[in-house]
Amino acid sequence: MIIKDIRINNFRSYYGNNKLSLSKGLTLIIGDNGDGKTTLFEALEWLFDTTGENRKDSHISEKRKSELEIGESDEVSVNITFEHDGEKEIEKCFTFERISEDNIRTKDYKFVGYFIDGTERHSCAGDRLLNTCFEPVIRKYCLFKGENELNVFDNDTALKTLVDTFSGIKEFDKLVELTSNFEQKSANAANRELQNDKKVSKQAKELNTQLNDVTNDIQSIKTELRQKELSINEFSSKLELLEKNQETSERYQAIKERIKGLKDKRAKLVAYSSCEYSTNLLDEYWILRSFPAIIKEFSAKVSALSKEKRILDKQETERRAKEAGVREAISKIQKLANDAVPLPWNLPDEATMKEMIDDEICKVCGRSAPKGSDAYEFMCHKLNEYLDHIASEVNKNSDTKENVEKPLFPNSFINELHSRQIKLSGDTEQEISNIAITISDRLEFVTKRKAELAEVDKQLQEMETEQNDLLMQSGLSSELLDKSISDLRGFFDAKSRAESRFSELETTLKNKESARAEIQEKLSQLEPTSSMTQVYQRVHTAFEKITKAFANAKEQNVNNFLQMLETESNKYLQTLNKNDFYGIIRIRKTINNSARIELYSDNGTRIENPNGALKTTMYMSVLFAISQITTLKREQDYPLIFDAPTSSFGGFKEDTFYNVIDTIDKQCVIVTKDLLNIDKTTGRKSLDFDTINKLSCSVYQIEKVEPFNDKDLSTIQTVVKQVR
Amino acid sequence: MIAEKLYDLWANRNPLWEKRYEDSIIKNFCDYGRGATSLREDRGKVFGGGYEIFIVAFFMGLYFNQKRPLTGDTQKRKTFGQPIQYWGNLDSVKGRKAYPKLREYIFTALVARTDIDFIALEKGEMTSRKAVDMLMQTMEEYANWGFHFMEDKLTDSPNYFFRETAFLEVFLAFNASIAKSIDEEEPESLD
Repeated sequence: MIIKDIRINNFRSYYGNNKLSLSKGLTLIIGDNGDGKTTLFEALEWLFDTTGENRKDSHISEKRKSELEIGESDEVSVNITFEHDGEKEIEKCFTFERISEDNIRTKDYKFVGYFIDGTERHSCAGDRLLNTCFEPVIRKYCLFKGENELNVFDNDTALKTLVDTFSGIKEFDKLVELTSNFEQKSANAANRELQNDKKVSKQAKELNTQLNDVTNDIQSIKTELRQKELSINEFSSKLELLEKNQETSERYQAIKERIKGLKDKRAKLVAYSSCEYSTNLLDEYWILRSFPAIIKEFSAKVSALSKEKRILDKQETERRAKEAGVREAISKIQKLANDAVPLPWNLPDEATMKEMIDDEICKVCGRSAPKGSDAYEFMCHKLNEYLDHIASEVNKNSDTKENVEKPLFPNSFINELHSRQIKLSGDTEQEISNIAITISDRLEFVTKRKAELAEVDKQLQEMETEQNDLLMQSGLSSELLDKSISDLRGFFDAKSRAESRFSELETTLKNKESARAEIQEKLSQLEPTSSMTQVYQRVHTAFEKITKAFANAKEQNVNNFLQMLETESNKYLQTLNKNDFYGIIRIRKTINNSARIELYSDNGTRIENPNGALKTTMYMSVLFAISQITTLKREQDYPLIFDAPTSSFGGFKEDTFYNVIDTIDKQCVIVTKDLLNIDKTTGRKSLDFDTINKLSCSVYQIEKVEPFNDKDLSTIQTVVKQVR
Repeated sequence: MIAEKLYDLWANRNPLWEKRYEDSIIKNFCDYGRGATSLREDRGKVFGGGYEIFIVAFFMGLYFNQKRPLTGDTQKRKTFGQPIQYWGNLDSVKGRKAYPKLREYIFTALVARTDIDFIALEKGEMTSRKAVDMLMQTMEEYANWGFHFMEDKLTDSPNYFFRETAFLEVFLAFNASIAKSIDEEEPESLD
C-alpha cells in the first residue's frame, strides 16, 4: 500500500477540506507545536482503527461546529487514496448536526472502501478493504508517535507476531506438534514391548528408569534455566531503566541530598531556637537578672551592722580597761617611807602575824612592840592588808569569772552575714551582673535562629516542590529513583550471580542431555528376541529423528529471520548515521520468545545506553528493515508514518537525517517541527529553506490561521500549504 | 559546740502559702501533689515541684517590692513537704539543672529586706527563732503578693502564663540594676 492522497475534512483543527498528496518516498510535514501535527497523525490513526464505530464529538472541528445554525449539518471525514493492486480508496466519516444552541448530534457513521474492478468503481466495507490491503499485523509497524514508541520489541508478543507474519514458521508449528506426538506414542509402544521382552526386559527397565531420572533432571534444569534467564532479563531491564534515567536520578539524588542537608540544618536550628524560657529563670539563675541591687542593699546593711558592732565592742573594751586602770593606781599609791620596796603581801603569813601581835614582839627584828606603839600598829595594818588582799583576790576572781560568762555579744550572726557578704562580692557579683547580658544575648541568638529557620523552611518547601515536579515530569516513582544509587550495585551483583549460575546450568544441561542420548542409544541397541519389538524400536527411532529435524528447522527459521532482520537493520543504521558513530545492531532472542534490540561496538562491547539520536535511528532502522522484509516477502509496501521522531536530535544530525531518509526508497511521512525557524523576538516562523532545498521530497507546512483567540478553540484552524 | 547559723535555721523551715492558690496557680503550673516530677514535659507543666512557682512568686514580690500579709486563718494556709534546704536540688529531673545556690540568694534578699534588730540578736536580747520567724514572714508575704499578681493576670487572660516567654517577660520588665539604688558606703577609716 502506497498512500497517494490524504483528505481531512472538519476533523478537529482541520476545518473544511484539506488535502495532502504524498510522494512515494519521503514527505515532510512541518509545523510548530499546536499547529495540528499530532491531529494529522491522529486522523490517520482514526481512519486505520477497525475496532468498531467511533464518532466522538471531540473529532468535530470546533470552528465548523460554531458556524452551524440549528438544523444545519456537515460532515467529518478522513479519506486516503492509495495504490495496492490498482488505485483504491478508504473513507471514514460521520455527519454532525446542530439540534439546539448547546447540542450537536452525530449520525450516519460510514467506513467505506472503494476499488476499481475493470473500469467500474465498487464500494465495500472499509475495514475489510483496509485489512486486505494493510494487514493489522503490518499496521503495527506503521504509525509511531514520538520517539518512545519506536521500539517495536517493547511488547512480548512482537517477535512472535513478526516471525509468524514474515516466515513460514506457522506451518512448521503444526508439523512439530504432530511429529512429536508420533514420537511420544512410538516411544511408549517400543518401551512397552522392550520391557515385556524376555531377553532385554531387565536391562530395558533399568535403562528406562535411568532415562526417566535424567529426563526429570533435564526438566528441572530447564525450569531453573528459564527462571535464571528471566531474572537476568529483569535485572538487565532494571539496570537499563536506571541508566536511561541516570540524569533524572542524579538530579533526584542531588535534590534528596539537599533536602537531607536542609532537614539536618533545620533540626539543629530547631534545637538552637528552642529555649526553656521559664525553667531557665531557675536553672540558669535568670531570675537573678535584677538581683545586683538587692546585693547592694544586703551589703550596705551588713557593713553598717558590722561597723556598729565593732564600735560597741570598742566602747566596752575601753570601759573595762578603765576599771582595771583604777585598781592598779590604788595599789601603786601604797609605798614604804624610805621608798624601800615592801615585802610581798603574803610575807609573813597570817599565823605568824597573829602570833607576833599576840606576843607584842616583832619576831623579824626581835624588838618588842607593845600595844599602842607604831610597830604594833604596823603589824596590825600588815595583817589587815593581808586579809584585805585575800578578800580582794577572792572578789577579783569572782569579778573576772562574771565578765567571761557575760560578753557584750554572745552571738556571731553578724559575722555569718559578713562572711556571706565577702562571698558575694567580686566574682559572684560579676556573674550575677552578667546574667542580664546572657539573657539578651540568648534572646537575640534565638531570634536570629528563628529567622534562619523560616528561611530554611522556605528552601525546604521549594526543594520538595522541585522534587515532586521532577517525579511528575519523569513519570518515575521515588522508590525507583531511591533505588538508583543504592541498588545499582545490588542489581549488578544479582545479575552476575544469575549469569554465572546460568552458565553452570547450561554445562550441566549439556552433560545431562548427552547422558540421555547415551541411554537412548543403549535402549535402541538392545537386541530384543521378538522381531516385533525390533520393529517398534525402529519406528520410534525414525519418528525421533523426524521430530528433531522439524524442531531444528523451526528454530533455524526464527534464527534466520532474526539474522535477516539484523542484517537489514544494520544497513539502514549505517545509512542513517552517515558520518557518525553507529555501532552494530544485534537482535537477541529472549527466553520468553520475544526479542531485544541491542547495540554493540565493533569490539563486542554492548553499548548500554546509546544517546537519544542513536537510539532513535537504531529503532527506525529496525522499522525500515521490517518494512523492507515485508516488501521482499509479501511483495507489498506500506508507509511509515512518524510523529516527531527526532526531538532528541541536534541541528546537524537533523539535516543529515532528512538527507538520508530522502534517499531511502520507502514511503515515509514525517510530521515534525524541525526545519522551522522561529524568530525569538517576533515569534515569526519561517521554513529552513537552506536544508529543504537540498531535499528532493514533498514538503508541506501546516499552521494555524491567524488571527485566533488564544482562549477560544473555535477560532483555531489549521491550513495545509504545499511548499514543494 | 558549733555556733548555729541563721541560714541553716532558716533553710530548715517550710514557708506558708495560702491554700487558695493551690488549684489556681500551683497545680496549674507545677506538678505539685502528683509525685515524681520527671514527667513535667509529658504533663505539659511549666515548672516541676510546687516550690518552683513559689520561688517565682517570691521574686516577683521582691522586685516589685510588694508584700501581702497572709490570711490569719491557719486552716487556710499550707506548706510544701520540702524544707527550703532541698529546693532546687533536682537530682533526677530530666532536662533540668540543679540550682542550689538560689536558696542563698533568697536568704540574702530576706536579710536585706527584713527589719531585724541584729544588734539585739547579737547581744542575745532577741532569740534566733524570732529572727528566723521574721525572715520567713518577709518571704511568705513577698510570695503571697506574687501569687496575687499572677492570679490577677490570669483573671484577665486565663492563658496569659502559657505563652512561652510570659514568665520571663515579667522579669525582663524590671531594670537590670533596679530598686532602691543605695550609694556605696564611704570607706571606713582604718584607725
